[in-house]
Amino acid sequence: MTVSSAPLIKRLLLAAASLSVVLAAALVAALSSGSGGDGILRSLSVVTGQGAPDPALETIVWRIRLPRALLAALAGGALSLGGLVFQALLRNPLAEPYILGIAGGSAIGAIIGILLGLSHFPGVSLCAFLGSLATLVLIVAMSTGQSLVKKDALLLSGVMVNAFCAAVIMFLVSMTQDARLHNIIFWLMGDLSSADGRAVATLAAILAPCFGGIFLFSHAMNLLLMGNDMARSMGLHLRSVTAALLVVTSLMVSAVVSYSGLIGFVGLVIPHLLRFVWGPDHRVLVPACILGGGAYLTACDILARSLPDQGEMPAGVITALIGAPLFIFLLKKTRR
Amino acid sequence: MQNRLFNILKIAAIAAGLALLAGSPADAKFVTDQAGRRVEIPDRPQRVVSLAPSITEIVFALGREQILKGVTSYSDFPPEASGLPRVGSYVRLDLERIIELRPDLCIAVKDGNPKAAVDRLQALGVPVYALDPRSVPTVIQAILEMGAMLNAEDRAERLVREMRSRIDRVTAKLVGTGHRPRVFFQIGDAPIVSVGTNTFAHELIGLAGGHNVAAGSAAYPRFNREQVLALAPDVIVISSMDRAGSIERTRQEWGRWPSVPAVRSGRIHLVDSDIFDRPSPRLVEGLEQLAGFIHPEIFGGFK
Repeated sequence: MTVSSAPLIKRLLLAAASLSVVLAAALVAALSSGSGGDGILRSLSVVTGQGAPDPALETIVWRIRLPRALLAALAGGALSLGGLVFQALLRNPLAEPYILGIAGGSAIGAIIGILLGLSHFPGVSLCAFLGSLATLVLIVAMSTGQSLVKKDALLLSGVMVNAFCAAVIMFLVSMTQDARLHNIIFWLMGDLSSADGRAVATLAAILAPCFGGIFLFSHAMNLLLMGNDMARSMGLHLRSVTAALLVVTSLMVSAVVSYSGLIGFVGLVIPHLLRFVWGPDHRVLVPACILGGGAYLTACDILARSLPDQGEMPAGVITALIGAPLFIFLLKKTRR
Repeated sequence: MQNRLFNILKIAAIAAGLALLAGSPADAKFVTDQAGRRVEIPDRPQRVVSLAPSITEIVFALGREQILKGVTSYSDFPPEASGLPRVGSYVRLDLERIIELRPDLCIAVKDGNPKAAVDRLQALGVPVYALDPRSVPTVIQAILEMGAMLNAEDRAERLVREMRSRIDRVTAKLVGTGHRPRVFFQIGDAPIVSVGTNTFAHELIGLAGGHNVAAGSAAYPRFNREQVLALAPDVIVISSMDRAGSIERTRQEWGRWPSVPAVRSGRIHLVDSDIFDRPSPRLVEGLEQLAGFIHPEIFGGFK
């Protein structure tokens, strides 16, 4: 063990341990709160396995809330990791899958899949992946051009890609006249209510290798942040690393979008918060983002479920209410 | 000693009897619902959750509201339904609340409730029977099926007989009327939305001796003002989708277009959308209203 790696491992373990606790707390809170199950304490007794057995409440906690909490945790982890990767690759603190339009691209793909009547997996997920790849190519093509190296230009192009995606989505929605419409609109705003055991298992199976793969590239991301020349001189094969990271990240984001719709700004809030606490080293930040992002979206979904008296609101509403002001704040700060 | 043994036996017999009685609601049978699903439903359901306002109306019409334990939002008819626990709206069911009510039967509508939610409930161990009412005859069929399911066969028979006789009264008076006034049934204001062939309102317009000018394959076709002017309807019926009262404004809006026959002759009518879009016994009421609007010369005193 070299001298410099000792604090890193310590930091890594500390971050992983403390954020695991936060995530576990968020999951327990998610299991204990909801529209049914009269009260947090009664639900908690089911979670902890105490109290008189109550089959209805057990069904609510384990078969309705648990899949939903896990889906929120997986989606939150993937989205904030996506933000972290884009911020490193594009060397732009404001990059985020939603802001860049990647999520919008996968939404178009997913809606086309839904309208074609494809099954959720693999049909709709594959369409979402193709949609996100298409927008990704567009963004990379624009951001590698000479005139678009500036931060604002990249964001502007993201805004335009997003506007275009929104128009295509509205076009597709306007062309449809059936019961699916209502669900599509709700899904578009980021909806986790469709979660069931199979969705969670499928998403976990897609995301786990992506998480692992990105962690392997975490040192490369550190080098990328030092600039292309520096990274190259450190022996990094820039092209292949960038390409691999982009494909893996868009696979991750599109998988999440196809299950939970458009949930924005998670990839902005969490990486910034975690960088503030744990420093800029991606070897710590990658696992921290997975755990912290999971806890964050789980918490946002609790709010989305419990704030309205009747029914619920999409989780994307909460993340945008928190994330958009932060985005403006960061934009002002980076300008200074 | 003998006496005590006898007592114990007596208690055991009563307990066994009670167990049998308590067990009887759990007796179940396999049926195929109107969506073609094989479902196991109890012989004598005791805790029913209605997944649509129309189902709620039918349960009340069958006099079985005492076993109704939960309803969706907008279940506002009859007024007593408003007091029952809510389980989300029919397109966004709140599964937690449904499970919490421990239903032994949920009744769904095939085209209203999302299939995913119905499958989910079934997977969670709640039997869901889906109805598929698409026309007046299938609504009647659905009422009979619900009567059988909820042990209210006689009441269902009676209800259906009354509905049929009211329908026959309208159609009998229309025999020999060749004239079919052109009807524009407006369910939305901005954009203007009407009803296509595959709707209850279209069917009722036909039964009431009118011609739906928006007939066509789109269920809820959109129109602009110009297209409606070109259709030249004799009667405009505006149904209140939103309950905010903008419906009166919609009527006044038409006043600016006197080239439309319906406007010229003042034949613009406002109706409650619930009796035209819910597959419930009240559709017959809708038919009678429409008949009065479309053929006032025949049904002058109907209303």
